[in-house]
Amino acid sequence: MSLAGYEIEVERTPGTGLSTEEMTLNMGPQHPSTHGVLRFVVKADGEVMIEAIPDVGYLHRSIEKIAEKVGYHGFMPYTDRVDYVAAMFCNHGWGMVCEKLAGIDVPKRGEYCRVIADEFNRIASHLLSVGTMTLDIGATTPFFHAIREREKINDLLEELCGARLTYNYMRIGGVAWDLPPGYAEKCLAFLDQYEPLIDEYNDLITGNKIYVERVADVAVISAEDAINYNLVGPNLRASGVDFDLRRDMPYSVYPELEFEVPVGRGEEGTVGDCFDRYIVRIREIKESIRILRQCFKQIPDGPVIAKVPRKFKPPAGDAHIRIESARGDMGWYAVSDGTEFPYRCHVRTGSFTAMSIIDKISRGLMLADLVAVIASLDIVAPEVDR
Amino acid sequence: MQSFLDSLIAQGYFAGVPTEVVYAGGMVVFGLIVVLGFILNVAGVTTFVERRVWARIHSRVGPNRVGPQGILQWLVDGIKLLMKEDIVPAEADPRLFRLAPYVVVMGFVTTFVVIPFSSALVIADMNVGVLYLTAVTALVVVGILMAGWASNNKWSLIGGIRSAAQIVSYEIPAGLSIFPIVLITGTLSFQSIIQQQGWAPHTWFVFHSPFTFVAFFILFTSALAEGNRTPFDLPEAESELVAGFVTEYSGARYLFFFLVEWGNLYVIGALVSALFLGGWQVPPVTDNLVVLNVLQFVTFFVKSYFWVLVSMWIRATLPRVRVDQLMTTCWKYLVPISFINLIGQAALMVALPHGSRLLQAAMTLLGAAILAYFFYRVVFHLRRARPELTFSPLS
Amino acid sequence: MRKRTYVGNIVSTAATIFDGLAVTFSHFVRKPFTVQYPDRTEVRVQDTLPFRYRGILEVDLEICTGCLACERACPIDCIVIDSKKDPQTKAMVLTRFDIDLAKCMYCGLCSEPCPTGSIHHTPEFEGADYSLESLVRRFVKEPVIAYKPKKGPEDDPQIKPLLDRGLRYVEEFAQPEGATPAAADESA
Repeated sequence: MSLAGYEIEVERTPGTGLSTEEMTLNMGPQHPSTHGVLRFVVKADGEVMIEAIPDVGYLHRSIEKIAEKVGYHGFMPYTDRVDYVAAMFCNHGWGMVCEKLAGIDVPKRGEYCRVIADEFNRIASHLLSVGTMTLDIGATTPFFHAIREREKINDLLEELCGARLTYNYMRIGGVAWDLPPGYAEKCLAFLDQYEPLIDEYNDLITGNKIYVERVADVAVISAEDAINYNLVGPNLRASGVDFDLRRDMPYSVYPELEFEVPVGRGEEGTVGDCFDRYIVRIREIKESIRILRQCFKQIPDGPVIAKVPRKFKPPAGDAHIRIESARGDMGWYAVSDGTEFPYRCHVRTGSFTAMSIIDKISRGLMLADLVAVIASLDIVAPEVDR
Repeated sequence: MQSFLDSLIAQGYFAGVPTEVVYAGGMVVFGLIVVLGFILNVAGVTTFVERRVWARIHSRVGPNRVGPQGILQWLVDGIKLLMKEDIVPAEADPRLFRLAPYVVVMGFVTTFVVIPFSSALVIADMNVGVLYLTAVTALVVVGILMAGWASNNKWSLIGGIRSAAQIVSYEIPAGLSIFPIVLITGTLSFQSIIQQQGWAPHTWFVFHSPFTFVAFFILFTSALAEGNRTPFDLPEAESELVAGFVTEYSGARYLFFFLVEWGNLYVIGALVSALFLGGWQVPPVTDNLVVLNVLQFVTFFVKSYFWVLVSMWIRATLPRVRVDQLMTTCWKYLVPISFINLIGQAALMVALPHGSRLLQAAMTLLGAAILAYFFYRVVFHLRRARPELTFSPLS
Repeated sequence: MRKRTYVGNIVSTAATIFDGLAVTFSHFVRKPFTVQYPDRTEVRVQDTLPFRYRGILEVDLEICTGCLACERACPIDCIVIDSKKDPQTKAMVLTRFDIDLAKCMYCGLCSEPCPTGSIHHTPEFEGADYSLESLVRRFVKEPVIAYKPKKGPEDDPQIKPLLDRGLRYVEEFAQPEGATPAAADESA
């Protein structure tokens, strides 16, 4: 029997004596440093990566479908779970989209309460983000210091709404609880105590040469790439694009507040590297503290919630709002068909699109850098999969 | 120890036995005492102390429930590890897999043969002591490579290869930094090196000249790298490779690897204290040999353990260095600097054959100034953060 | 873009590591932040929690009016209430009030519309148990008559403290302008 036609061509790299093969590694759903259940299939040539393909869907809970069953009011606690690290923004987004559907105005004090809750949550979320980034790079102490401060913020928010992570603080038309008596003093005391600790954190890790060498010039995302791949929030601003929804497409009471928007300047490397994404978050914490102080000074008296019927039936139509969450531009889209259950609800989150750029920027990086990259993009799994 | 055995033979204890057998038997007994009584306990307690030290740096409390202040935590952890199921992965190489921990432990325990616990307590004061120490710690590389390869796990393999490259590279600056001391003392024996220093700080070799000062830091850094400690702990980089080359190990074998890691800290501390910080030298307060030896033992232990605490403190503070940066640090920075150091020290010895009291005093003052500036910065940070203070390490 | 020189690298490494070590050393004298729950706290943790804390649900059946507002508000349907009007006495009788704690997500949507505050969250959070069945809390032991809120102030000494606490809980919730807490049900 002849083997004609059955020969198999074996590719051998010409010229070299030994042939090398690339390794396919699985940074599986259970891994100490992918932030949540994320999976990456990594093809690596020794230490250098050739491809890093993300595999999402391990945390999918059909939240958007659940909205169609529980109704507008009942969906508010579910929005907490869309991004449980920064839940106030999700509450705020859902509240805003329902108010836009029905044409409801939130009273001024309610808006201020919303912004206060939002900015505290932004500080907490950024603390977790920078903390876990330093933990992934190898320094264990800054993580605990960041978590300690986050615990203090959680104590404040627990006093405000009764829960520490899934707040369910806001309702359609405003917020559910007014600020308790003595709250402003407690919050301002916390802010006074916390502000010097940011400088201490910078002394500990941000300026550390080993840390800077690990993150500077790693995974540079140019401004053009950032816009093309739809990055938002601190990721976008770190690449040099000066865009912040709170200032450029303002909502709520942000027009009355004065704050700056930190943009990546490439101080330790190039504009758009991991260090820029990290330092933009640290600077945003400082700006949030500034916003909070103004809020507590300017908050007026009055009701905090508008009159909204128990059976909420907005007119048929759709509405789309954008809110500047801790992870960037979070878009909420709801379609109503006139009944008290939404016809469709969709969330557009910043982490989902950030996953798409990981393959592009990780070509040529080392395995250790992949961890830094995922952490610097501040990807949280619940936002990716919903 | 040899003199002690000689005195026993002279008193007629081992009548019909040839002296070589007495020496060998004595070494085995003494080695067992050191291993079981000293190494295991120190390595075990070090795991507990590390967790408490880390916890205070992190603003939290470490383990404090098992026994008073949690002092029995390490025993309980050890017993728990010993009770775990002995898993050998199906596709792993069974003989190499089982052999690897023992090779690593061998490379670690045999270093204790030359470490001088006091002027009379040393198993064997070899005249090539320092060379023996650096040579025998290289056995650990073989064990780690075996562990990484035999695990049949890509992550372990990467960890093992990284570790082997790291240890082999950092042997060089470590060795080169020991040479200035050898130049000064003219001997490789630990006891002689310690005897040429005094008990006062200005007589220690670290302040002998600017070159030994730099050599001290280079030796400490290289020794940390050889011991796989942060900032050089890539082989165990938990956040990247799960557990590096020990991923597939469980139970007693895992215990061996970590025993070696923490015990190695003590060896690093002992090496650095013996060569640079005056070893067991104490002021001559008493003539009683026993009391003197006890004092010397305590002094040496305190000095070595201080460096153990320092390496824990460094581990809590610094992030991890990437593999290529690790190699760059070694070959482009530490090796050239230690060469320059060596040549500089040699040149200095030609210029000033008897050393220089002025240089010693200047270096001591420099050391004191750096320490004072350090405490100034600590007070500055405390003033800025204004936290609640507590000076008690207990909880 | 910072220019990196050989000597500059060495100097900045030493300087930043020095400062980092100073920060961590200063932590040795700081008081730890840990609360050593559950046995080494000064007061019970449950007593330190704020009044609004959303812990495990509890129902004060003495002041439940049987309006079923909580059952309608719950998004997970973990509250099951059986109530019917007794044809002879014309009073509302509650035969079943079950809350499935395993399903409850502690969102607080049930306690908001309660007119008397009979269903409310407590500061209790230790609910772990060995069996799943024990997590269904059945509040009705035998059929009870639902509470009818009086026109004036409540004077029954057994009910008054419960009602006061319940109303205080409900009043914490924000009300729109011009509304009172007891005017709950505005259905369109």
